[in-house]
Amino acid sequence: MEFRDKRVIVTGGIRGLGKSIALSFAREGAWVGVSYSSDDKSASKTDKELKSSATRFLLFKADVSSRSDVEEMVGSVLDEWEYVDILVNNAGIVRDKLLMFLDEEDWDRVLDVNLKGTYLCSRATIKSMIARRFGRIINIVSPSAITGRAGQANYSASKGGIISFTKSLSKEMARLGITVNAVCPGIISTPMTENLDQETKTSFLHMIPMGRFGEPEDVAGAVLFLASEKARYITGQVLAVDGGLT
Amino acid sequence: MEEIVNNSEVLCEFLKKMIIDTLKLEDITVEEIESRTPLFRKGLGLDSIDALELVVAIEKIFDVIIEDEEVGKRAFASIKALAKFIRKKYKQRK
Repeated sequence: MEFRDKRVIVTGGIRGLGKSIALSFAREGAWVGVSYSSDDKSASKTDKELKSSATRFLLFKADVSSRSDVEEMVGSVLDEWEYVDILVNNAGIVRDKLLMFLDEEDWDRVLDVNLKGTYLCSRATIKSMIARRFGRIINIVSPSAITGRAGQANYSASKGGIISFTKSLSKEMARLGITVNAVCPGIISTPMTENLDQETKTSFLHMIPMGRFGEPEDVAGAVLFLASEKARYITGQVLAVDGGLT
Repeated sequence: MEEIVNNSEVLCEFLKKMIIDTLKLEDITVEEIESRTPLFRKGLGLDSIDALELVVAIEKIFDVIIEDEEVGKRAFASIKALAKFIRKKYKQRK
């Protein structure tokens, strides 16, 4: 029970990676606040799983790109649980299109959810962390941010922005006992990758030295490590969990 | 808290102690801090990261929010300036 009574928020925590991260914290004794934007069906399923595994949990329907939604969500967590120890900025969307066909709305939406959402959630929680001189902020990024990927100008820009944000915020928070890091999952078996066609899947597998897609639990393990005491001297870093892809 | 805020001298002494406690300053005492001494750089030698902790402490203790950096710069000019700022904002919040 490494995270007994730690207060954790995981954004986008009802499916795929976010869900695995939320449940992993719950199994380690943490109190878990999970946000989701629209998928009520998955939320209800995750709600049941958290009921059976979490000491305490809260589920929020919140758009992380909306300041009022974020402030309401974090405000509720602080009212109920007093403070936040760990924030995992996982909520993210893709709207892949080649730049020539990438309209302003698809650009804005991806940047708003992924990058602005990370900013808003971090900003809303840091006061509580500063007050206790302890905190962990872990941002989920993507290899697309580092190597680029055709059709992902918006997504890679948003994730690249999060890496820069991570590094700058880590310097602001270092002296205050708060670490800020990023986890960069490679190709992981999630609903996002299940929709890929067979040809794309095969080409991805050829690129991964370990010869398999990662599991959500592989990523959750890295997130829990960065949130743990073992990682107290690590900040401003990007930890790749990708089977050797990058 | 009302009694402290309403008495300028008491509030200044309270703030000096709050700064020492919040920032865990070990090499300075309340008596050594002049109310007119600048808090930053050449004065007490605090920096913008120290200010973050003070902003959080002031919000927690006085329920007074320092909403942006410019306001903070003016408020943190000295203990006296900070006391004046807190007294004004404390009354406005009621």
